[in-house]
Amino acid sequence: MPLDTSTYILAHLRLDGRRWNELRRLQAQMSTQAAADGSSYFEMGNTKIICTVAGPQEQKSGGGGRSQQDKAKIEVEVNFAGFSGMDRKKRARSDKRTSEMQHTIASAFESTLLTHLFPHSTITLNLHILSQDGSLLAACLNAATLALVDAGIPMTDYISATTVATTASYADKEEEADPLLDLNGLEEQELPFLTIASSGGEDRVCSLVLETKVHMARLEPMISVGLDGCSQIRGILDGVIRAHGRKVLEGKVG
Amino acid sequence: MPREAEPSNNAKAFLLQALRENVRLDGRAFDEFRQIDLSFGDEYGVATARLGKTKVMVRVSSEVVKASADRKFDGVFTISTELSPIASPAFEVGRQDQAEVLLSRILEKTIRRSGALDTESLCIIAGQKCFHVRADVHVLDHDGSLVDASCLALVAALMHYRRPDFEVRGEEVQIFDPREREPIKLSMQHQPFCVTFGYYEDGSVMLLDSTLLEEQCREGEVMISMNRFGEICQIAKYSGEPVDAMSVLNCMNVALEKVKVFDKLVKAKLEEDEKRRDVGGLMAELSAENAR
Amino acid sequence: MAITVLPPAPAAPPPNPKPYHDDADSSPSDDEMDIDSLPTTKSRTNTTIITPGQTVTDDPQWMRGHGTTAAPDSSTIRSTLAGTLQKTNKLLSVVPLRARYTPEIGDLVIGRIVEVQARRWKVDVAAPLLANLLLSSINLPGGILRRRTSVDELNIRSFFGEGELLVAEVQGLFQDGSASLHTRSLKYGKLRNGQFMAVAGVGGGAGVVRARRQIFTLQARGGEVDVILGVNGYVWIEKKAEEAAKEKEEVGINRLEQSTSEAVYSSQNDEISEATRRDIARVAGVVRVLVEGSVKVDEENVRRGYEAGLELDEEEGVVDFLNGERGARICEMVLSGA
Repeated sequence: MPLDTSTYILAHLRLDGRRWNELRRLQAQMSTQAAADGSSYFEMGNTKIICTVAGPQEQKSGGGGRSQQDKAKIEVEVNFAGFSGMDRKKRARSDKRTSEMQHTIASAFESTLLTHLFPHSTITLNLHILSQDGSLLAACLNAATLALVDAGIPMTDYISATTVATTASYADKEEEADPLLDLNGLEEQELPFLTIASSGGEDRVCSLVLETKVHMARLEPMISVGLDGCSQIRGILDGVIRAHGRKVLEGKVG
Repeated sequence: MPREAEPSNNAKAFLLQALRENVRLDGRAFDEFRQIDLSFGDEYGVATARLGKTKVMVRVSSEVVKASADRKFDGVFTISTELSPIASPAFEVGRQDQAEVLLSRILEKTIRRSGALDTESLCIIAGQKCFHVRADVHVLDHDGSLVDASCLALVAALMHYRRPDFEVRGEEVQIFDPREREPIKLSMQHQPFCVTFGYYEDGSVMLLDSTLLEEQCREGEVMISMNRFGEICQIAKYSGEPVDAMSVLNCMNVALEKVKVFDKLVKAKLEEDEKRRDVGGLMAELSAENAR
Repeated sequence: MAITVLPPAPAAPPPNPKPYHDDADSSPSDDEMDIDSLPTTKSRTNTTIITPGQTVTDDPQWMRGHGTTAAPDSSTIRSTLAGTLQKTNKLLSVVPLRARYTPEIGDLVIGRIVEVQARRWKVDVAAPLLANLLLSSINLPGGILRRRTSVDELNIRSFFGEGELLVAEVQGLFQDGSASLHTRSLKYGKLRNGQFMAVAGVGGGAGVVRARRQIFTLQARGGEVDVILGVNGYVWIEKKAEEAAKEKEEVGINRLEQSTSEAVYSSQNDEISEATRRDIARVAGVVRVLVEGSVKVDEENVRRGYEAGLELDEEEGVVDFLNGERGARICEMVLSGA
């Protein structure tokens, strides 16, 4: 499993030929699923996700009079397609990693969606992961943003997310440490990394998840590069939405 | 389904107004922990941590099992968490609560994924036999800062625990009863602790060690786990309003200070406990490590 | 931040530059737009797209409407939706490209009974919340002035049962935005003798829009066909109810009471001739094609689409399903007629 990261020091090029602050190819479409209230297809390199939004719709009764909420509830379901990873393995429905991901996505959007406009209702997000190659959580957040915009659910701002790694995890190798933006699957296994999501302007961290050991001295450059990446992605998402909107408007007659 | 009662609007408003005036309801400073109390049971590997009214008990145990095929040189280490109705009527038996999943994920990331416990040292015969160390986290009382308290108790219990000694003779393995040979401490590579920050007022007020009421009123939280060398094992900011990157970075420095305090506290308590056990000063002679 | 972020190397081109380039010249780069030049009309000629988080204006003279938000202590109005800006006097609102239907008083909607409760029905009208239809807001058989008795409450299922379709008007809105319906007109009530369709809700220029006439009769080849376009995106196409019309003439003054007879709540379909069935299917095909081609579904377009469909069939000499190529041609013909 360990792969040769030493080449990075020589040429400052990553495994797939990118430089430290380059994103992978990002592609996205909106309104891909006609039946859903909102939907999107999102590609971040080889990570591919379909997201559909259902709702806001009336909460299913039977939960026992808990519909006394004054705002919409957000439910997230993440599905891994059997063919999405390297080895075909079935994930248990109650997998804690998946349910943590679901929680992260749901609570990230709780703070940006104007849920108080839809009392007693539920917004359901379904994320289908077709192919995984790193930055999974980030891609999910981006895909969900697009689908929610497509569903016409009001939000204060986009959530755009990316991952950042560092090439040296210890404090002493100051000169070797380079933050790397937008990881692929191999880099993610090898390097300590974090997922960062930003919303509501520069320097506003919406969610931040770090799971591997790294020295605190490394964190500042990682976060700042991550925020920069988020704003790049935000620009791309905005472009996708505008292009989609123009297409929709062209088709209509006044 | 019982649910945690929401605090009344008055209580919320009062708390937030007080925070705006730099006062916490229990009179603590913003970065001050409640009274931390750590005690050990009579057996090895039982630790109880208290943070104010929050109380968490951790019990570490071990057994010899067959090593897993894909990790031949490693022992097994599992953490199981349980939020029972003892802690709060909001928790139900058997049902996986969101809070429980998050608690176990954070502990898992803090302690297991960061390699705090050296699992290689749990191997007896590669590919055949190894120790399975199991930590059961029981939350006995819930008044906020569950994660911090659980993490503290868990690390303390792991450091306190001693596994039985063994001897390998060819293919034969003999596990010694604690009465035959003095059991051995687990080898820990570092001691990570978790510090949770609750923030209010758009990130301008950061509270440490929130009580349950404070948790219910906060805009969001940042959970940071690190060890005393400043190595971050885990950061989780799932929910809440977006917050400035700078304030997250400031949290790191505060967390480091607190982690150092935790570290000292656990070590002092362990020493105290050791002295209590070592009544006749026989411990040194009994230690199996000594013999080698 | 202490660390400076270097500008991306020239080797890092935007991955797919084409779609975003034309974006730059069509929308003002300074994130601001010229509001004063917008026409104060309901017609959506404005094609500048606004996206969530974008600043619409920071001029305090404007009021914020739907689809916008403002921080409590500033006059900056930001959009919360992706859509186009609409100006109504001093009120700025953003009309989404697509969204769920939000009920408004006076909307004609088609709904489906989801739940029967003690004194009301819960109706799915494709809105965020189920609508309510109170027992007291329907016409009971035997006259409008009759008292509602407990017997009516017990027989509530004899009026509407689960899964049945109805056309109604939004009478009022509750605090949480859910609608309260009524069927107190001969136009409204239970639906039968026809076909149901669900098309996209409001927004995007496609789908059903609020118009002058939502219910109209189409003079089709095989007889008259009624088309009901619910504002919520539900469409009902049925054989024209003839008996009711005949009765009306006969009974004169008391007709309202008389015609609210048991038959209104009947779920039994009448005999429908094959020609009418074909017409209903054709209209349904036209509606589907219009939605696929993002053409507004209204009376005029449906009429025109129906004629276009007939023309096309004559031209090609076949009667075939309306889709793909043929659908696109119909849209073209509809648009060219406009």
